[in-house]
Amino acid sequence: MEKRVLTTSDTFTPEIIDAIQERAELGRYLIRGYGAFRSVPRFDDLVFLTASLTRVPLEGDREPCATKTILGKRSCKRPIELDIPITIAGMSFGALSRNAKIALGRAATLLGTSTTTGDGGMLPEEREASSKLVYQCLPSRYGFNPTDLRKADAIEIVVGQGAKPGGGGLLLGQKVSPAVAGMRTLPEGVDQRSPSRHPDWIGPDDLKIKIEELREATDWQIPIYVKLGATRVKDDVKLAVKAGADVIVLDGMEGGTAATQSIFQEHVGIPTLPALVQAVEALQEAGVYGQVQLVISGGIRSGPDVAKALALGADAVSLGTASLIAMGCNKPIYLEDYHKLGTEPHHCHHCHTGLCPVGIATQDDELMARLPVEQATIHVANYLQALVMEVQSLTRACGKSNVHNLEREDLVALSLEASAMAKLPLAGTDFIAGQ
Amino acid sequence: MNNEQTLTRSAILDCASLSTREINQQLRALAAAGVERVQVLNPAGRHNLAVGLSTPIEIHFCGPVGYYCGGLGDGVQIEVAGGCGWSVGENLMAGQLVIRGNASANAAASAHGGKIYVLGDAGPRAGISLKGATLIVTGNVGYGSAFMMQQGRLIICGNAGAGLADSIYDGEIFVAGRVHSLGADAQFGLITDEDRLLLNQELLPLGLEARDYDFKKIVCAQEFHHFKTRNFPNGKTRTNNQRHLHTRDH
Repeated sequence: MEKRVLTTSDTFTPEIIDAIQERAELGRYLIRGYGAFRSVPRFDDLVFLTASLTRVPLEGDREPCATKTILGKRSCKRPIELDIPITIAGMSFGALSRNAKIALGRAATLLGTSTTTGDGGMLPEEREASSKLVYQCLPSRYGFNPTDLRKADAIEIVVGQGAKPGGGGLLLGQKVSPAVAGMRTLPEGVDQRSPSRHPDWIGPDDLKIKIEELREATDWQIPIYVKLGATRVKDDVKLAVKAGADVIVLDGMEGGTAATQSIFQEHVGIPTLPALVQAVEALQEAGVYGQVQLVISGGIRSGPDVAKALALGADAVSLGTASLIAMGCNKPIYLEDYHKLGTEPHHCHHCHTGLCPVGIATQDDELMARLPVEQATIHVANYLQALVMEVQSLTRACGKSNVHNLEREDLVALSLEASAMAKLPLAGTDFIAGQ
Repeated sequence: MNNEQTLTRSAILDCASLSTREINQQLRALAAAGVERVQVLNPAGRHNLAVGLSTPIEIHFCGPVGYYCGGLGDGVQIEVAGGCGWSVGENLMAGQLVIRGNASANAAASAHGGKIYVLGDAGPRAGISLKGATLIVTGNVGYGSAFMMQQGRLIICGNAGAGLADSIYDGEIFVAGRVHSLGADAQFGLITDEDRLLLNQELLPLGLEARDYDFKKIVCAQEFHHFKTRNFPNGKTRTNNQRHLHTRDH
């Protein structure tokens, strides 16, 4: 019998064929959760040059290695003091279940760090669970009110998000439950498409006045962050600084979302690695490096990711997707429910459906009950603790007693792309791609 | 009421040599001290005046104000003798603002409650993202007004610019004059007797009578409430079943 060889087009791959036929059925763009799936240069493409003879290492797990992090030193009375340089990113009640939001708050509190609200307002249980809570001011202003504003420990004006810079949020009708609709002043069950622009200001000059408004409303007590999706990073960071931001939160294209057009996730924005490097340069050129803090997010998964981000100049990192995975996202349990979604554990990105098999990205009470708050809290807290230990281990190995003393000289690149984007020498050479 | 009581219940605040910070701090202090009315002299178009106030007080600005006047307010009565800049009454929760002049862009942006009167024209995007407040404009409003309005009421005694109520979710809009064009998902609705009664109640405090105007009502057509699949062969559209749609997306 003649052997049959299956050939595959590089242009029309099986995935592309599926995507075309799905669009043909739906008559609209495809929607999914998570961030970019494509391969991009990332922190994995960098390695540390730890101590040997030129530098002396500190004893792992024994000698002190400070992790304290202060955000918002520039102009407010009460900067945020964190015990660790890792925060929890903004994720809405609506996108996430009540249990997930409470667990994130409690875990952050156990580690002495902050968590962040999201596009849907401040959940009372979330405020109660979080010792330090950052209150997002988004284009939609769903649930935004001065009473909750005064309860916040910091304000984050969201200009963009790494998964969809230039686009607004999506929350499909399955997740717009009576509680979510009530908080957002929306009709129940509506396919909510959030605006991409703020209703009350448009450009950076207006943003300056908006920041002053929020400062006046909070008596200049708490820091104001500006969150940017990574696109024209240098200009955007400088404009946010000029507008008066205390902290820049920069989200690269690996950053997740509960729902957006997949075209945004794959074709919009730049990766976290070059975004971070450009943001640090922008702060230096603006003469505010050290005064305005930088929080980087988008695909941060491990202690090495955190340590490399700090070495490149970030003051802290922010975790979204990874914190959800820590509490059970994509865990191989309730397999039949993954199958109903047409997926498998480790491959699920169906947050937009509201049918999350593990009770994280859902508003369904039965599914949410699968996520016990205590267990989720411990898992996220353990994960954060593990990341801190990993960062401290790398820091001590570099001969440093404070994670914020990690520096660019501690790193080299493993690929030409990473060398060019991070502006670091290729390992074993003095060659920096592009310079 | 004797003179002494009158003095303690009202105050005059001259802003000529004060910063925005100092003005707002003094307004807060006066409200906290139980002062009921304060006359603010020389506001000089400053931005961010009387923002974030939540202790009841009546504030009368003797002159124009800048951006965000009365923004993030909750239960305060504000009157401006003059025009105002962008986003007057932004995110108002309760209370009242009366602008005796024109308002620039984004009047009452994202306001959740209370009433905002513009006794003149309002610029573009009036009532944008409105979430439950009532905005009454005795003159005209600019383009993009009531964009993505969610709840509340917008009453326009004059004309409305292009794209009125684009992408509205809910709420109601009444326009007495010409509507340049409606935005996506907005449609004219039937005016009921209840609407006429309501319009009369809203306009009477301004010395206006609804019967003197030919109000048209604009509401959400709800075509955008759910993603739709086009059925090209017969030109009809259908709404996807909410429970099982989108699950195959990737």
